[in-house]
Amino acid sequence: MRRFLLKRLLSAIVTLWLLATIVFLIVNVLPGDVGRQILGPFATQESVAAYNERLGTDRPLWQQYLTSMRRLFTFDFGDSYATSSPVNDIIFPALGRSAKLAVLALIITIPISILAGIIAARRQDKFTDRAIVTAGLATSSIPEFVSAAVLMSIFCVHWKIGKVFANPPEGTSLLGQFPYLIMPALAMAVTYFGYLARMTRAGVITAQNADYARTATMKGLSRRAVMRRHVLRNALAPTITVISVQIGYLMGGIIGVEKVFNYSGLGSTMIMAVGSKDIPVLQGAVLLVGVIYMVSTLLADLLIAYLNPRVRLEGV
Amino acid sequence: MTDLAVPPADSPSATSALEVDNLEVVYRVRGIDRVVLRGVSFTIAPGEAYGLVGESGCGKSTTAYAALRYLPRNGRIIGGRVLVGGLDVTAMSESRLRQFRARDASMVYQDPAQAMNPTIRVGRQLIESFTLLGQSNSQASRSAIEALRKVRIADPERVMDRYPFQLSGGMQQRVVIAMALACDPKLLVLDEPTTGLDATVEAEVLDLVRTLRTESDAAVLLIAHNLGIIRSLCDRVGVMYAGRIVEEGPSAEVFDHPQHPYTVGLLRSLPRRGVRKTEKALDTIPGILPLIGADLPTCVFVDRCALADDTCRTVVPPVVPIGTDGNRYSRCHHVDRLASLAETPGHVAISMLTPDEAHPGVLQLSHVSKTFHQRSTAIPALVDVDLDLAAGETLGIVGESGSGKSTLAKTMLGIESLDMGGRVALDGHQLAASTVDRSADDKRSMQMIFQNPDSALNRSWSVRRILVRSVEKLTGIKGKEANDRVEALAAHLRLTPRHLDLRPRQLSGGLKQRVAIARAFVGDPRIVVCDEPTSALDVSVQAAILNLLADLQVEQQTSYVFISHDMGVVRYLADRIAVMYLGRIQEIGPTDEVFNGPNHPYTEALLSAIPDVDGGVKARIRLDGEIPSPANPPSGCVFHPRCPRAIEGLCETTEPPLQQAGSGHLIRCHIPVEQLVELQRKPSVDA
Amino acid sequence: MEPAAPAPASPPSTTDDGRPAVEVIVAGVQQASERKLARRENWRLIRRRPSFIIGVFIVLVWVVCAVLGSRLAPHDPLDFRAKVHLPPSADFPFGTDKTGRDVLSRVIAGARDVLKIAPAAAFLGGIFGVVLGMLMGYIGKRLDLVLSRIVEAFIALPVLLLALLAIVTLGNSAWVVLGVVAALFTPIVARTVRAAVMAERDLDYVTSAKLRGESSSFIMFREILPNVMGPIIVELTVRIGYAVFTISTLSFLGAGPPPPSPDWGAQVSEGYNSIAAGIWWTTFFPAAAIASLVIAVNLIADSVQSVLEAS
Repeated sequence: MRRFLLKRLLSAIVTLWLLATIVFLIVNVLPGDVGRQILGPFATQESVAAYNERLGTDRPLWQQYLTSMRRLFTFDFGDSYATSSPVNDIIFPALGRSAKLAVLALIITIPISILAGIIAARRQDKFTDRAIVTAGLATSSIPEFVSAAVLMSIFCVHWKIGKVFANPPEGTSLLGQFPYLIMPALAMAVTYFGYLARMTRAGVITAQNADYARTATMKGLSRRAVMRRHVLRNALAPTITVISVQIGYLMGGIIGVEKVFNYSGLGSTMIMAVGSKDIPVLQGAVLLVGVIYMVSTLLADLLIAYLNPRVRLEGV
Repeated sequence: MTDLAVPPADSPSATSALEVDNLEVVYRVRGIDRVVLRGVSFTIAPGEAYGLVGESGCGKSTTAYAALRYLPRNGRIIGGRVLVGGLDVTAMSESRLRQFRARDASMVYQDPAQAMNPTIRVGRQLIESFTLLGQSNSQASRSAIEALRKVRIADPERVMDRYPFQLSGGMQQRVVIAMALACDPKLLVLDEPTTGLDATVEAEVLDLVRTLRTESDAAVLLIAHNLGIIRSLCDRVGVMYAGRIVEEGPSAEVFDHPQHPYTVGLLRSLPRRGVRKTEKALDTIPGILPLIGADLPTCVFVDRCALADDTCRTVVPPVVPIGTDGNRYSRCHHVDRLASLAETPGHVAISMLTPDEAHPGVLQLSHVSKTFHQRSTAIPALVDVDLDLAAGETLGIVGESGSGKSTLAKTMLGIESLDMGGRVALDGHQLAASTVDRSADDKRSMQMIFQNPDSALNRSWSVRRILVRSVEKLTGIKGKEANDRVEALAAHLRLTPRHLDLRPRQLSGGLKQRVAIARAFVGDPRIVVCDEPTSALDVSVQAAILNLLADLQVEQQTSYVFISHDMGVVRYLADRIAVMYLGRIQEIGPTDEVFNGPNHPYTEALLSAIPDVDGGVKARIRLDGEIPSPANPPSGCVFHPRCPRAIEGLCETTEPPLQQAGSGHLIRCHIPVEQLVELQRKPSVDA
Repeated sequence: MEPAAPAPASPPSTTDDGRPAVEVIVAGVQQASERKLARRENWRLIRRRPSFIIGVFIVLVWVVCAVLGSRLAPHDPLDFRAKVHLPPSADFPFGTDKTGRDVLSRVIAGARDVLKIAPAAAFLGGIFGVVLGMLMGYIGKRLDLVLSRIVEAFIALPVLLLALLAIVTLGNSAWVVLGVVAALFTPIVARTVRAAVMAERDLDYVTSAKLRGESSSFIMFREILPNVMGPIIVELTVRIGYAVFTISTLSFLGAGPPPPSPDWGAQVSEGYNSIAAGIWWTTFFPAAAIASLVIAVNLIADSVQSVLEAS
């Protein structure tokens, strides 16, 4: 187990380093003069050069790369180009707000999708199954901003439920924030329902077709007991993996939803950084999402190892 | 077909443990119902063991599962009944069925590794079977330990605490058997319980089942494709073909005096009673196995039967009682004419080529070792192997899993590179370690025939493309000439031009293997390595492939390295046999000498483990423990921990020498040959 | 009924009328035209699926819109001006937007860009992904170890984020969008192909090819590739759906092709702030257009996948 953990941790660090390198490459190696990009075509060459010097973007690439790596491992991305305040002061509060939304979305979607997936698998190829699968396919293929816009049109405008602007006023209690957050969370939940339900269904079908499920049935266990004791534990590993991957994606994937609902989370921060070409903020935010992805997949692997002794004992 | 399916003998259902009455099952495939069982009837008395035997697709497993009313999602019982202890299983409610499965019937499955839940400890899975009977947890736990003891597991408490994947195949199957016996069932169904297990492990599991039968009065229904297993375990046997039992009777009688053309053909296509390729070609059954759902309105065997006439094509054959005991029948119109079948052609002797003295050894292996590296551990898969292969000779290689026989084949061919210090030489010149570095001529000279033709032939290529490409690459002949050569070779192997334009998937298993053989022979190879070439095939198809291999060898002076786990097949085809264990050759010698002894104790155990179709009684040599992992081989003689004849103080410390036991017969053992002869003369270790 | 045991393998081949197989010496051929039949059978099964029919129908509608474009649109999508924010009516079935342009015409015209860029990006990413996945799966060893790490790093981030980052530095022309989406799809396709190739790599036909001295590239692209086309086709179809998804989200976020091009995502982006004021049609119709196209492509992919998996 310790070996497994160590290996997994090491690979997460390597991946994170690669990720940072990719981000660095995209931002720096691809052609493009940062100062010119920010100051626009009408700025003088001198002011562009001065700006580049201030940002450090005129130094040799390897120096910039080292700086960027130091920033990754200290998790300090310097100051924002746009506001000059430290990047961390911008991205961490934004992350907190996004996390609230993401957690609410997961609380809504996980139980419903897993249940739907199990029901679909139990009624494989029947009407219920087809309906759940098709609905899942549809909801998971629509971009989040589209479902957000549609939900907003229907609920907030037509039925007057929920708020169009999701930012709760300062000092609102956690409970009081609920009406603000529920609509964007719902929009996200709808999107992830499809992935989770389909994955759960596939896992349950595989497990209930497995020989050990046959053995359990032949022992004389009831269908419910076979499902509960033998199928689910084996079936849920792929679902857990998907959830963990989605947690990372939720943080970044909600950009569209945040924009539609004017919510000032990590997504909006990134949009703003895009608009003002604020590369440090963007870099920090992107890497933060990467770290969250790493941590959540790591936790998922541990959970799977806990559920599956084979992984735990042999590290396969 | 239903009206004629009369139950065989007088069978008072109240006293029989299992009565299957005119059972008809269909599978729905692509919207069409395909008939799998066409009115299967048989009964098993309490305490009796009944075997169902037949080739793939005959419906034997479907019958077994249908007996416990467990069918695939697309399967349906459309007629007939199944009575267990007088209760109609087909008519039970769901809850009654559960109770029936929990208390009255159990099953042992083909693949024990898959049959247990990988995420739950063995103990809990076993305890579950007992709590279902209403026992309390602590009671069930005690019963579970007791059950493990009953299946001869020495350390039940420790095993209870394991996960299934931490047990060896033999142990897993013991646990599954323990689970099945938990309720002391009236009916125990065993579906190919030892398929996939190694020979010595199989023998132990079969021994266990045999012993347990004496301790319980459960009726046993055994499904197996191996006739020897059925004979050694079952009182009566039903021979199935295309969803119907074509012959039934006491096992010994059926196997010694078959009374249905199919049974006759099936038994004749087996290499039995030590027959060799020099004595006769094997009989084959013409035609192919019918597909599931094939339309066979009258006799199911009519398309392949030499006796078939108009009656057979128009009238469903009746149940013809054989003898006067009322316990045997055959479903054939022409039981009286079976004697004429005995005269079927094909008893042509194949002359064996004596290895050419002038060219000793087409292929020579000296000090060949192969070590795999996994993480930081070295796994010696082959250790210091020396071999010689003469022109036109067949060297059989036998051994169980982990013995290194497949690694040996791959290393010869350069698919795996051998360790430094070893040497593989063809006609005296050293071959490069890896295929990539070998000359075109060397590649042409050594080819391979694989176990599974489905995997060996590219499924998106036509047969013609497969063969032409091989001709072009191996011989340098291109274009039309290559095509001509392929057509000539194909014709020689009885593949028609039509076959050439098909994809492998469209061919039957036997035809696919023919294509694979043709591919190996395109460049007139000197040596062909055959890795279990018939083990994926049905018996009746196997015979034709073995004949073909023997014929080709005679014509082309090809040498074979023939890897197999089937001793009968090896005995039929091989001139010499090498026995491998944990990467080492333990014994090598001419086939007759190896089969007659004296033997290495491992060979002795291996030979005694074969369940014999002819019912020969052998002293079983029991081996203790499991096959060790090649990663961690025992010290001294690698076989010593399991060897019943190990000499204390010597075998565990010193690697034994190879000693001469006859001309070209070598045994790697500390026990002197004379003593081995003495020990093996009498059945010393009792089964 | 019982909780599913695995269905028996469908018989290797038989005709529906179950005629006995042609007899040869030892074994038989089972119907010469079987492969054609199987292929036709697959096609027939796909066509019979309602989800496939619906998917194809919707895609065709949008293809027609993309091809005919302004000829089909009742008004000019850019220059025509009516009153602003007219609700849907007989004259303007989808209403008008904040500058008085006809929403219907703009939705029709918006099909063109997305249908040009999305499939192109998916195919480009697909080709690179296949090559990369092949190398990783077949050559394996250290190359695979290194590339797998990189692929994993790419996959650790939502495609959208990286695309956004790249477009910020490179500018937002259609070519950049195409290239960026293709580049970001490459590792995803590669992962699928790698898994498929690894399942093939150890099959004996590959060993046999090595034994007759075939080169690695021959084995990869002539021997293995045809056998992994199934998953590749499915993956490509799914990728087209995702390309539509990604590109429209990018334009919604302002990183797509620059305005005033009538892009669906951009239209949603222009309109959504008016939803609160009850003006839903400027957002709803382009949003529905995106949704319908993405769902349609995924319905097709799903049908193809279930039929290929079943056979």
